[in-house]
Amino acid sequence: MSTRPADHGANAPSQPDPTEATPRIPSDDELARMSTDDLVRLGNRLDDVEIVSDRERFPVPGTRAEKRAERQVALWFIWAGIASVAFLVFFIWWPWEYRQPQEDDGLTWSLYTPLIGLSFGFAVFAFGMGVIAYSKKLLPEDLAVQQRHDGRSQEIDRATAAARLVQTGRRSGISRRKLVYRSIGAAGGVLTLGVLVAAFGGLVNNPWKQGKNSALLITGWHSEDGERVYLRRDTGEAEEVALVRPGDLEPGAMETVYPFKESMRSNEEELKEVLHSSDSPVMLIRLRPNVAVIKRAGQEDFNYGTLFAYSKICSHMGCPTSLYEDQTNRILCPCHQSQFQANEYAKPVFGPAARPLAQLPIAVDDQGYLYARSDFIEPVGPAFWERNS
Amino acid sequence: MSDDKPRPARTRARRGTKMRRRLSGLLALGVALVAAGALYSVVTPEAEPALAADPAIIREGQQIYDNSCITCHGTNLQGVQGRGPSLIGSGEAAVYYQVSTGRMPLAAQGANAERKPPRFDEAQIDALGAFIQANGGGPTMPVVANGEELRGEDIGRGGELFRLNCASCHNFTGRGGALSQGKFAPNLDPASEEQIYAAMLHGPQNMPVFADSQLSPEEKRDIISWIKSVGGANPSKNPGGAELGGFGPVPEGALAFFVGLAALIGISLWIGSRQ
Repeated sequence: MSTRPADHGANAPSQPDPTEATPRIPSDDELARMSTDDLVRLGNRLDDVEIVSDRERFPVPGTRAEKRAERQVALWFIWAGIASVAFLVFFIWWPWEYRQPQEDDGLTWSLYTPLIGLSFGFAVFAFGMGVIAYSKKLLPEDLAVQQRHDGRSQEIDRATAAARLVQTGRRSGISRRKLVYRSIGAAGGVLTLGVLVAAFGGLVNNPWKQGKNSALLITGWHSEDGERVYLRRDTGEAEEVALVRPGDLEPGAMETVYPFKESMRSNEEELKEVLHSSDSPVMLIRLRPNVAVIKRAGQEDFNYGTLFAYSKICSHMGCPTSLYEDQTNRILCPCHQSQFQANEYAKPVFGPAARPLAQLPIAVDDQGYLYARSDFIEPVGPAFWERNS
Repeated sequence: MSDDKPRPARTRARRGTKMRRRLSGLLALGVALVAAGALYSVVTPEAEPALAADPAIIREGQQIYDNSCITCHGTNLQGVQGRGPSLIGSGEAAVYYQVSTGRMPLAAQGANAERKPPRFDEAQIDALGAFIQANGGGPTMPVVANGEELRGEDIGRGGELFRLNCASCHNFTGRGGALSQGKFAPNLDPASEEQIYAAMLHGPQNMPVFADSQLSPEEKRDIISWIKSVGGANPSKNPGGAELGGFGPVPEGALAFFVGLAALIGISLWIGSRQ
């Protein structure tokens, strides 16, 4: 946009007249003689674009106003450069290794992320602002209108395009060459099938393959070979095995416990994994001694004294229901506010849940450690079609 | 021990060995005794000062009890039906938590006793605690010079334990949260280290009890240092800027959606505008 000669029409009399309704298509000779501006104008005419107004912001080059605008634009790019340098400096030299907030240089460390974020963010922002400022302050202000063509293409275009397609098909002879036709069909079909299998094959799964031991029916408390499953607490160290004794819990206490078998002791991976398994967390609750208890038929001997063990998985949608209120003896689920009465076999007393929490039968071995007498007698968590309780 | 060595040398050597053996025996005994003593002093729990020993303090505590607590908790700490629970077995920790946070004496019966400026000073709370402790026992407070001593070393483990045991009610950074029927778990910011410790020990209101046998003192300390590192008066707790209440994705997403989107639309309009 540096040169915009105004006198192009005078020395080229054979050029197409830009005011014509339908521009004449120039010959190659004429095209070669046309200036950049003429070509742009011709292109606009061909595309039905009309330049309504076209105004230079600074018609006289080098005025003070133009210089000032240039400086304002350049300033944004200079800021972007400075911020980029700052970003490099912070990224490379600022202390980035974790410090606890209480330590002396905790504050320095905590500034690391904000500093690299601010410097990099400002660099990108200033660069963008520079581009916007350039287009707003220095680029010529023009207003162009392009005619919009409504409706479908002209009949002649439609008929010729369709004829071309039909002819291509006919000349390829594909309908005549049955072998090629069929092999293409077979290859395409099998390929599509392959893609579909790759995309959705993983979703096809028989959840009942293991029969009685299918994943939805058993939890981590299940013991296939009869090995005793103990109650284990999480001490924050995944490898540490801490078993639970009845006396560890004071009246009014609640603790989350996980299954543990002796055969897991040497397997660190398994010890860690069980703490994150989705179906085995159990709330071990010790009721206060004066609380009246109602037991569910068939679960009369599941508790050990005032100790009751309920699945932490809500029977509504499977959220962890661990908000235990030890005066009302209610277990509250934070997702949909279902409440379960801990002293009445964790039956639902409020909210959308319809079934009690599954209760784990517990007992104490001769060493004084709590263990699960068996897995839950019903599936934990939300309902599913095949569930029969 | 070959035979071709001269005898005198051997006898002398043997006599020397005997002396040495006696000496080293004595030395070993000494070392063993010192080691046993050291081991004993390490293994033996530190004798806790008997706070409830002084009858004068207990009498002062009883006086405060008779003036301020007796209406709801009864003449013999047995509690009054419909007003207040029995305090037998509550212990000094419960008194410290309830009175130092201003929850007791209760302003009015309601869903939750709320924190307010304490009515009694440190010495009065101690006296009241001594009185309750002397009548029924219960969990006692750890003896520390200041709250800093109750902060554990392993903040990471504290965070793990906090998320496991506390976060379901108190939110993952201790902002608190709703319970059923108007009850709520309070924000942990204003609570001092001692108050958090006491709360875990005796389980105030609807909070479950976390006895030392369930959550060891070290684990309690780690939890406290986690709470203090993510909340309270910690200047560097939020290196990311404004915490928006610390409630997580809901306010953050709402802000990003409404403020961020509005800003983007405004900027787009400005870029496309003409003077």
